[in-house]
Amino acid sequence: MNRRNAALVPSFQRPASKVVIRRAANYQQDLESLLLESLREFKLPIKDKTVLLKPNLVGLDPLGITNTHPSVIAATREAFLHLGASQVLIGDGPAMDRDTEAVLESVRLREFAGPLAQTFVDLNIDDVEKVPLSTRASRLKELYFPKTALGVDFLVSMPKLKTHHWAGVTLSLKNMFGVVPGSCYGWPKNVLHWAGIDRSVLDINATVRPDFAIADGIVGMEGNGPVQGTRKDCGVLVLGNDPVAVDATCCRIMGFNPFKVKYLAQAGTLLGHLEAEKIGQYGENIASVRKPFAVLDAFRHILE
Amino acid sequence: MKSETELHFVESVCLPLLRRAQNQDGGWGFLPGSESRVEPTCWALQALLLSTEPRTPEVSRAFQFLYVAQLQDGSWPSVAGDKTGSWVTALACWLLLKESKGTHAATRGLSWLCEDWPRDSSPWRRLLAIFSRQRDVFPINNSYRGWGWTPRTSSWVEPTAFVLMAFAECPPELLPAAAAKRRHLAEALLRDRMCPGGGWNCGNPRVYGVAGEPLAIPTVFALLALLHQPDKRENTASLSWLEGNLPHIQGLGSLAAARLCLQVYGREWPDGAPEFSGIYEKTGFLPGIQVAAWCCLALHANKWLLRSAIRSEVRQ
Repeated sequence: MNRRNAALVPSFQRPASKVVIRRAANYQQDLESLLLESLREFKLPIKDKTVLLKPNLVGLDPLGITNTHPSVIAATREAFLHLGASQVLIGDGPAMDRDTEAVLESVRLREFAGPLAQTFVDLNIDDVEKVPLSTRASRLKELYFPKTALGVDFLVSMPKLKTHHWAGVTLSLKNMFGVVPGSCYGWPKNVLHWAGIDRSVLDINATVRPDFAIADGIVGMEGNGPVQGTRKDCGVLVLGNDPVAVDATCCRIMGFNPFKVKYLAQAGTLLGHLEAEKIGQYGENIASVRKPFAVLDAFRHILE
Repeated sequence: MKSETELHFVESVCLPLLRRAQNQDGGWGFLPGSESRVEPTCWALQALLLSTEPRTPEVSRAFQFLYVAQLQDGSWPSVAGDKTGSWVTALACWLLLKESKGTHAATRGLSWLCEDWPRDSSPWRRLLAIFSRQRDVFPINNSYRGWGWTPRTSSWVEPTAFVLMAFAECPPELLPAAAAKRRHLAEALLRDRMCPGGGWNCGNPRVYGVAGEPLAIPTVFALLALLHQPDKRENTASLSWLEGNLPHIQGLGSLAAARLCLQVYGREWPDGAPEFSGIYEKTGFLPGIQVAAWCCLALHANKWLLRSAIRSEVRQ
């Protein structure tokens, strides 16, 4: 499958989305079994396919609260291999630090996922292809994207539950900023800020089209995120076949109204479902795991 | 400063990697087997120029790749074949100024750079900033102006540093008329963007009242760009930060860059600091072209950057 050719379907024509919420108290528990059991419920078409896991690896993370936790990444990889994927790659293009190897060591990904030379793809320096954007929300008409992200069969966005000082919240859609290559657009990928963060999020997701999302909400970040915020223990994993619905569910867990997050409101018209009644919720219910996150004053309007 | 293990690592891993990874078109990709790009080609060529005497056909082919990649307006694109210039223009100019035949191409590139002003600090935006909360959110002096990763956007530390390094390499008579003003503003920008306590990150020293964390690679390039004023407060504070951070460096790229910088500044490589081979054996990562080139340059820093610095000092 070439991701660029997937047609956009307006939300009103889409079937209901499916989102699973699982409790996970810490990163030491058996996450692989938990994720495998949860993924089986989706009957994903991944047998003999190539899967790319796109975690949120922003930069150095001495406190372990900025990036998607390596145990979640490694457990997801094992679960997809168990489900029959022929190859499960891990890839990201860190936004703040061009020494990706240092970021990976700081995150301790090798300790959890094993040797990375054949598994990890640095999306900042991958070969690229210029692609016309499927939507024109921003003033950008086209962007270079890594060939690996464009060419895999199944793309999984793996954010961490965090607030964001420019966008309000960063989840699976905002996480896709990481597929935009630093070698073309720099560290940080400032051209996206110039084009408008909210609009760029929509354009990137409409073009690259993540198939699935698994959000690491075991430990999140509140306040001045995505790198300078404070730890927030939340104790959940949220996964689903509609990244917009996953983000909407995460927002509700975090105490935010997803319709008030600008880029999510836009994505809800074209890329997936925000409305609770169009999201089949499985596992834990939202109220039982809800943990309101603190936000900067500039984003108090997104609070529920 | 050149330990046997480091030399062995460079000669047995880095240089062979660079030699076998050159593409048919004369350029290098970021990784062996990937498509040629201007940035890794510049770094690989810098490394080979120091290690290959006399000049080999491989070096000539690499220069030819750069000449062909230059756009009509004098700039270089980040991806060969693209029609828009980018930050790699500074790297290409810096390299070509070391080559007598490259002067014409380099001066066209420098002219393009001098005409590329960041929009974030235009007079209109500076006026708007007075009435916005920008100063509370990220308090930077936006009357200083450097260069961005893409044309006409925002100033950032690394692209600004690369242009200053290219200016320093250029004979004064060949510099565009605007270069003196641009250099003054850009040096002031780098000093303004230093993180509290020393070192640089991409260019956000403080956001919402929280101090930014410096990073090794931007710190190295900012220090190399400000090499001609080694006793300034920003230089000494940032060198101290870099030296103090050495034990915590976990990536080969950061380590090679740090070693290059400290050597150029004449600092001793501390006993017990990490070594290239140690990190390579630990992580198992095959170094990319750029990292392999930085490792080579770090061991030849005296031959390379000091020469440039002395030339620059003499010119000033």
